[in-house]
Amino acid sequence: MSNHIVENLRKEIEAFKIETKGELVGKVVEVFDGIAKCSGLSDVKSGEMVTFAGGETGVVLNLEEDTVGIIILSDFSKIKEGDEVKATDRILEVPVGEAQIGRVLNALGAPIDGKGDVKTSSAQPIEKVASGVVTRQGVDQPVATGIKAIDALIPIGRGQRELIIGDRQTGKTAIAIDTILNQKGQNMICVYVSIGQKDSKLRKLQTRLEEGGAMDYTIIVSAGSSEPAALSYIAPYTGVSIAEYFMDQGKDVLIIYDDLSKHAVAYREISLLLRRPPGREAYPGDVFYLHSRLLERACRKNEKYGGGSITTLPIIETQAGDISAYIPTNVISITDGQIFLETDLFYKGVRPAVNVGFSVSRVGSSAQIKAMKKVAGTLKLDLAQFRELEAFAQFGSDLDDATKAQLERGKRAVEVLKQPQYSPVVIERQVVTLYALTRGYMDDVPLNKIKEFESGLIEYAERNAKTFLSEVIEKKMWSDVGEEELKKAIADFKTNFLTL
Amino acid sequence: MQKISPKNIAEAVYEATEGKSTAEQELILKRTVHILQDKRLLGKSKYILEALQNIIDKKTNTVRLKVITAKILSKEDQAKIENETKIKYKGDKVISEFFVKGELLGGVRVEVGDEVLDTTYKNKLQKLEKFLIQSK
Repeated sequence: MSNHIVENLRKEIEAFKIETKGELVGKVVEVFDGIAKCSGLSDVKSGEMVTFAGGETGVVLNLEEDTVGIIILSDFSKIKEGDEVKATDRILEVPVGEAQIGRVLNALGAPIDGKGDVKTSSAQPIEKVASGVVTRQGVDQPVATGIKAIDALIPIGRGQRELIIGDRQTGKTAIAIDTILNQKGQNMICVYVSIGQKDSKLRKLQTRLEEGGAMDYTIIVSAGSSEPAALSYIAPYTGVSIAEYFMDQGKDVLIIYDDLSKHAVAYREISLLLRRPPGREAYPGDVFYLHSRLLERACRKNEKYGGGSITTLPIIETQAGDISAYIPTNVISITDGQIFLETDLFYKGVRPAVNVGFSVSRVGSSAQIKAMKKVAGTLKLDLAQFRELEAFAQFGSDLDDATKAQLERGKRAVEVLKQPQYSPVVIERQVVTLYALTRGYMDDVPLNKIKEFESGLIEYAERNAKTFLSEVIEKKMWSDVGEEELKKAIADFKTNFLTL
Repeated sequence: MQKISPKNIAEAVYEATEGKSTAEQELILKRTVHILQDKRLLGKSKYILEALQNIIDKKTNTVRLKVITAKILSKEDQAKIENETKIKYKGDKVISEFFVKGELLGGVRVEVGDEVLDTTYKNKLQKLEKFLIQSK
């Protein structure tokens, strides 16, 4: 036994080769709050990894006349003035690989879930130039979120960047989790990047994903609130580097940044400590570039370049619904649309609290399946008119029949779009519900029975409108035969439902 | 106003003293000390002197060499290292310092500016330790 150990060790030592070459070495001049100022290191590059005498890693961010500013990515309490710092001639990179699926990693790609080492064979730099125009193609395949309000009104396509924005406690993370849960069997790998969140929230989320079987295709990258700001700053870049690894293999990836407001705050902290000049709201001048270079890495590649994609759902937390603050406006302008969540709607019981008027998807409609387009075509307009009429109707009592009908339809639409958390609905079921709603079959169903009607109808349709459902699944559109079958099923079900 | 760096002061001192007589140089240096005192920059004198040294070294094409070994090097070996350094850095003059540190166990550590060539046993053993931890 001991001979075997010695033999193995001997082999490993024999395989070890030392390359002797000149190294660039500097000295620590100052250490404070996760930042080190070092002298020397004359040829070091911005973004280059450096190692301190105790094995700690840092990244060069500031190149000044006599010193370099380094952010320390681990415990900085052991670094002292005068310590040696070595340049590595490598831009900061993180390990990437298939083995990371199902794991919880820190911002440097190391596992933190207590399930042992992650065996990866390659590493990717965290900062990379986004894919060029030649490699890309338009968004034309849908990402089914399983949330009716989103799939019908604000559709998301593979390769799109759709912002989820709203105040605290409005269900932003809930939308992200529901979307991940709904990717089961959709041939999608999910990366959830948690930035500055409480560990308890992360644990809850992980448990929820495990219960839903979503960890089989999900990777969580976390930089907790107790960790240095430097890790919060690099976590999204780590996440996207992992996502790019899978995209380069032709796979579709969904990445969620929860949330970029905290990311901007972490970057502000670092920038102020590095004495970079503060700008609006004390954010540094390059805070737009911070997010634009990250979100630009979302793309859909054309067939020649593997055909993979990265769909991005960044989250931004607003203060008192102010979407005109600095970071929200920046990210709104970078992304291809936004899902706006409102506190008022949330407390009125409209959940998910999506404000359809402020929400938009700029490229997603081309990815929406034909059947959904057909049933949801007028829904957004109907809802907008309903909101307007609802406000007016509060002042007057006598309303004409057309207005009354429009109000009733609107109320039913709002009711149909309500959806409990962790219960995503598959697209063909959404089509059945919205067909019944927009074709007026629900107009005479009492408002308080809409949910009951909806669930009953879906069950009934699954037994009696099989052709319609299979056509929607396979051909993404129904035929006349299928439509007739569904119409009959809805009419039969409604008669039974209303007579009971 | 732009911050005055030690390098700026060193450059000014060098330009003011260049080609001047010893008496004039002494006067300039005295004035410099007064200015530094007035501007409360005397605390930076260490860095100013370092910067001045660098400027002079650059002008005179001098290479400063620091060699650390576990045992005292023979005169021949010292000369060999100095000669190699002179060729590598294309310097006219080499100013060398030799130190002995037993903890290095063996090998040589050569420092020129912020470039370091470390062939000491201590460094090699540290690298081996890191390699074995990683391969585990």
